[in-house]
Amino acid sequence: MGFFRLDPEVYARHKDEVLKLSNSFQRIDARGLSDREIAERLGLDEPTVTEIRVIAERDCYPLDEWQRAIEFKRKACRDWAAAALKRPDLKDS
Amino acid sequence: MTELPSNATKRLKTIAISAGATVVGVADAAAFDAHAPAKHRPADLLPGARTVVVVGGAQPRAGDWVATSPWLLSTMGTTERIQGVGRRLAQSIESELGYYALYVPPGTASGDTPFLSLMLAAELAGLGSRSLAGPILNREHGFMYWSAVITTAPLEVDPPETAPACPAPPCREMWEREHTTPCLRVCPLHDGGCLAGRLEDGRAVRTGYDAARCNTRVHTHWVGGFQKVLEETLNEPDREKRKMLVYGDFMTRTLWAITYSSTNIAQCFECMRVCPAAHGLKEMR
Repeated sequence: MGFFRLDPEVYARHKDEVLKLSNSFQRIDARGLSDREIAERLGLDEPTVTEIRVIAERDCYPLDEWQRAIEFKRKACRDWAAAALKRPDLKDS
Repeated sequence: MTELPSNATKRLKTIAISAGATVVGVADAAAFDAHAPAKHRPADLLPGARTVVVVGGAQPRAGDWVATSPWLLSTMGTTERIQGVGRRLAQSIESELGYYALYVPPGTASGDTPFLSLMLAAELAGLGSRSLAGPILNREHGFMYWSAVITTAPLEVDPPETAPACPAPPCREMWEREHTTPCLRVCPLHDGGCLAGRLEDGRAVRTGYDAARCNTRVHTHWVGGFQKVLEETLNEPDREKRKMLVYGDFMTRTLWAITYSSTNIAQCFECMRVCPAAHGLKEMR
């Protein structure tokens, strides 16, 4: 048995639906479905759904969003320190 | 299997507190069925599971919350302290009570999905409730780290917490004044952040959450960040430009974080940093 590789076309066709149904992203009002439940609903096999879900989790945002995360945290952290310690000079400019 | 002594639950809780837990509770294993998908329920991991013992503690200290670098809070390594308590309990259940005990590992079952949701476990064990920002908050101690042990022992189960820590009184006042809360203001979904919600009759109601963006912030320098830079590097045809990516600060920090992965998993605390229910602002000299 060879190494399991997901067909990019299968991924592109199903990624949005798999993410929407899965428990990867917590929803407000209901639990997500298991990979097996999603597979049954979409007519796929469970390992394929697992692979689609795992890749899609990482594929939602481009690398630029990681850079924005750094900038967000740097600013939020310094702004809090400035407010909490009453030291306006610490605020991120 | 031996019969469970009548004081077993109490004794186990005493061991947990002595080992360093701030709080300890017991959840009914079957209670997970309504909330967790198959393969992520206690009995899926340990056949015959009857209860789940949950410990919480190892909170960041006041100095951690006011540190001026966001990276300091993520490298305090406090999660490991509570994981050690979980392992200790698993050992006690097996050696002293004679029941199977499965320490829930902090890793993932597949992708980013944990074996068992520790937040759900804490909630079902009566140790806290979900905040508007997401993390479970304990009424007395606020934000903390969790560890859990699934067991076949029929321990006494604790009821869920009835009054939530979130929203805290200052947040209710802020909502009346500004129609926002500290967590919603620092990380708003409508402005490039992760959270959306409102207060309704004094209760927090979550209306939106961008988990994918939250992942870029919580796991900036971790598995996801590594994969993203690796992909960018493989797609870069210029050798010198590839070098800039591989040797650069982002990749270097990421590799350090992965090397010490169990102490670096959480890397964004901004919604909790501003949360009055999470830690309170202790003025110190």
